[in-house]
Amino acid sequence: MSTYDEPETQLPTTEDGDVDEDAIADLLGDHVLDRETHGNAEAYVVRADAVQDVLSTLKDDAGFDHLSCVSAQEYDDRFESIYHLKQYEDPTNEVSVVVPTPRDEPVSETAEPVFRTADWHEREAYDLVGVQYDGHPNLERILLPDTWQGHPLGKDYNKDKPQIVTFEENKNPLEDHARGGEDSDTMFLNIGPHHPATHGVLHVETVLDGEQVADVNPDIGYLHRCEEQMAEKGTYRYQIMPYPDRWDYGPGGIINEWAYARTAEDLADIDVPEYAQVIRTMSAEMCRIACHLLATGTFCLDIYGDFTAIFMYAMRDREIVQNLLEDLTGQRMMFNYLRLGGVVWDIPEPREEYFEKCRDFLDDLPEKLDEYHDLISENEILQSRTVDTGHLDPEIAKNYGATGPVARGSGIDYDLRRDDPYGYYDELDWDVITEDGCDNYARLLVRMREIEESARIIEQCVDLLEDWPEDDREIQSNVPRTLKPDEGAETYRAVEGAKGELGIYIRSDGTEKPARFKIRSPAFSNLSALQEMSTGEYVPDLVATLGSLDVILGEVDR
Amino acid sequence: MATPTPLPDTIQRNIGVDGFGGELLSMFLAAFLIGNIMLAMTGVAGPWAKRKITAAFTDRIAVNRVGPFGLLIIVADAVRLLSKELIVPEGADRPAFDLAPIVLAGSAMLAFAVIPMGNGIQLADPETGLVFVFAIASIASLGLLMGGYASNNKYSLMGGLRAVAQNIAYEIPLVVTAASVVLFTGSLQLSEIVAIQQNTTLANVAGIRIPAWFAFVNPFAFVLFVVANLAEVGRNPFDTPEAPTEIVGGYQTEYSSVYFVLFYLGEFLHIFLGGAIIATLFLGGPAGPFLPGFVWFVIKIWAVFLFTQWCRSAVPRVRIDQLIEIGWKGMLVLSFANLVLTAAILGVTGL
Repeated sequence: MSTYDEPETQLPTTEDGDVDEDAIADLLGDHVLDRETHGNAEAYVVRADAVQDVLSTLKDDAGFDHLSCVSAQEYDDRFESIYHLKQYEDPTNEVSVVVPTPRDEPVSETAEPVFRTADWHEREAYDLVGVQYDGHPNLERILLPDTWQGHPLGKDYNKDKPQIVTFEENKNPLEDHARGGEDSDTMFLNIGPHHPATHGVLHVETVLDGEQVADVNPDIGYLHRCEEQMAEKGTYRYQIMPYPDRWDYGPGGIINEWAYARTAEDLADIDVPEYAQVIRTMSAEMCRIACHLLATGTFCLDIYGDFTAIFMYAMRDREIVQNLLEDLTGQRMMFNYLRLGGVVWDIPEPREEYFEKCRDFLDDLPEKLDEYHDLISENEILQSRTVDTGHLDPEIAKNYGATGPVARGSGIDYDLRRDDPYGYYDELDWDVITEDGCDNYARLLVRMREIEESARIIEQCVDLLEDWPEDDREIQSNVPRTLKPDEGAETYRAVEGAKGELGIYIRSDGTEKPARFKIRSPAFSNLSALQEMSTGEYVPDLVATLGSLDVILGEVDR
Repeated sequence: MATPTPLPDTIQRNIGVDGFGGELLSMFLAAFLIGNIMLAMTGVAGPWAKRKITAAFTDRIAVNRVGPFGLLIIVADAVRLLSKELIVPEGADRPAFDLAPIVLAGSAMLAFAVIPMGNGIQLADPETGLVFVFAIASIASLGLLMGGYASNNKYSLMGGLRAVAQNIAYEIPLVVTAASVVLFTGSLQLSEIVAIQQNTTLANVAGIRIPAWFAFVNPFAFVLFVVANLAEVGRNPFDTPEAPTEIVGGYQTEYSSVYFVLFYLGEFLHIFLGGAIIATLFLGGPAGPFLPGFVWFVIKIWAVFLFTQWCRSAVPRVRIDQLIEIGWKGMLVLSFANLVLTAAILGVTGL
């Protein structure tokens, strides 16, 4: 556990660095109406008009500087917003702030002045669940079209009634003032939803002053597929697991599955055999390499122009990883490989041949990465394009809840694999990569160096798996066919996805399906910082910055 | 070496028709011949080679199904593109929108008229040939601006403005560097420039005479010119006017069907024209051992084409402000330094 070197603020922690729950309750004082215990953390129920007070106290006096997620949900008698807070220093220190609001008037105070990231999270809660946030600067729909009627995850919503969204009503949802009006010398430009550089269907509303970006506003939701609702319709044991593959199809499928598996296993108290954990770790790192190769390739595509050498090289090498994953899981993108309590099957026979393939890939990788460094990171034009563009200060990054390579490129030493260990990571020897550049170049370097670290992890996993005694290869623990976690149990767990902290919040109502299933997408939070990073820069830098954020719209929109 | 007879005169002598009618006919025939040679190179071989070259650079195979080596895919592509619907955006400025592709393709075609391609293939040989080439080739910027401005599309507008800013910034270094060649040759006539390069001896290495091709005489000017030419034809690292990942396709965003073909063709023509100018000014034009002059000329053009494709695959694009900065603060200064130095050296040595 980490120790803090800021003696001036007395953090409410016990001597070994854990959260001192009673000290926090004392700190918050009268604001606390009640206390609950969630699977991941102590939860404090607070009044709806004291949200900012509570959150700023926790942020300033208790060191909870990371608003990881805001989960809203509707009960029979009330709405509830849960603010999941963590510390960048030590993400195992968590608290949840629960804000109940009455059903007839679901208004609570916004957290946006305390945490900028609450802006988008609260918009999403408003959009999908219907909680209103008093004082929010821009409480509009975020995932659904502006003309949508009702809040789909609310209890009153008529799910059977089709709604038609016309193009005319939604064709340019930006307010007039942002376009500058008649006598302005700025130009409004829609970048996307169909544009070569938006990596999917992202719509970036841009105000240009000449070639310079005066304002940008990412407009998301074009790929919203109701993933949360679909997960709520599925049973824990079998029906939910295929969905996570569709979030980050970079292909980070196995990491996404792990996020769900970790949360559900925590909720239902399922143990995972060590052997399965090693396989999970290995396959997740393969996914990470594939994701980072794709991110590097497409980032260079944004800088270089056409389909150039480096993009194809990245694709070529990603292909090898995908072949390995295909041999392991039977699928190239939609793996559906993890199960609650383990993985679906063992390493393919003959095992030696598979390990040989893995080793061949790992042996060739350093040479290929050298080639990448020759082509990309040591190229002077690329450096002049990326160094000092898309600047993201660490403080701003934390405020926006940035995680993953984006945060680590800003010098924030935050990696859940090490800080909140799961799987087999804490048994293995690897390093967390950080760069202090805070710019597009730093983020590129972080990804490229993380590929090396992932390769190290895979190598150790392969060694372990090869020597694993044959009579101890348990791939799944004994999990009941119908899984019914305790009624009222709720937890929020996250894993380190390729893009950052991928968290899942699940509340159980005692049935075999989750009552609320909330996905915290890393790319969603990272993307919200785009405005900070690209305002005042040139259009090409905006495109490069977008590429360096490595957003997968399937994960942003869910 | 005497100035070779221009191609129309040769044709007229061979078909033996006298008078104004014969002159007209032979001129038309000559233009037809050269036009077809260039179109075959730029319209058919160019796009095919571009695919194959890019594929080779990027570890792919590229077209290989239709016809031998996939060559016939160009025919299929032509049919496909020509039969597509011609979409003209609402609010487009009609005459300008229609003229832009023609101006772009036409300007490059026209400039080929004065290029000596060897074996007497040259339409006209005016004394101010070099000036004519640059003047005509620069009209392309007008075509790009027209296209960008008339399309009624913000991306097109940005592309058009970028194209003009870029062409102005790089036209001057281009012309100034070419002027240093003229200092050396003392003539603007292209056939003369070629002849002087070929007939002056730079050195004799092991009994092989090395002609004073200007690329050998002043490699610095050669490099400057090649770089400025990359910007002029809008290829990486200077492809900002198109920049598909930033401004979609720049000036050609709204063009479809026949107009797109013309734009595409115009771009290829300009790359080949750039190659032709480089070959003429720096590589001794059609001169070369053993093979006929025309073959050498084509080889040189293709070498330049290969180089642009190589850059396209391997070099990142610079940002528009960096591009302008390189143009005005770097290339311009260097090209004037080159001109002054060349003049001084020539004056002192009295070559």
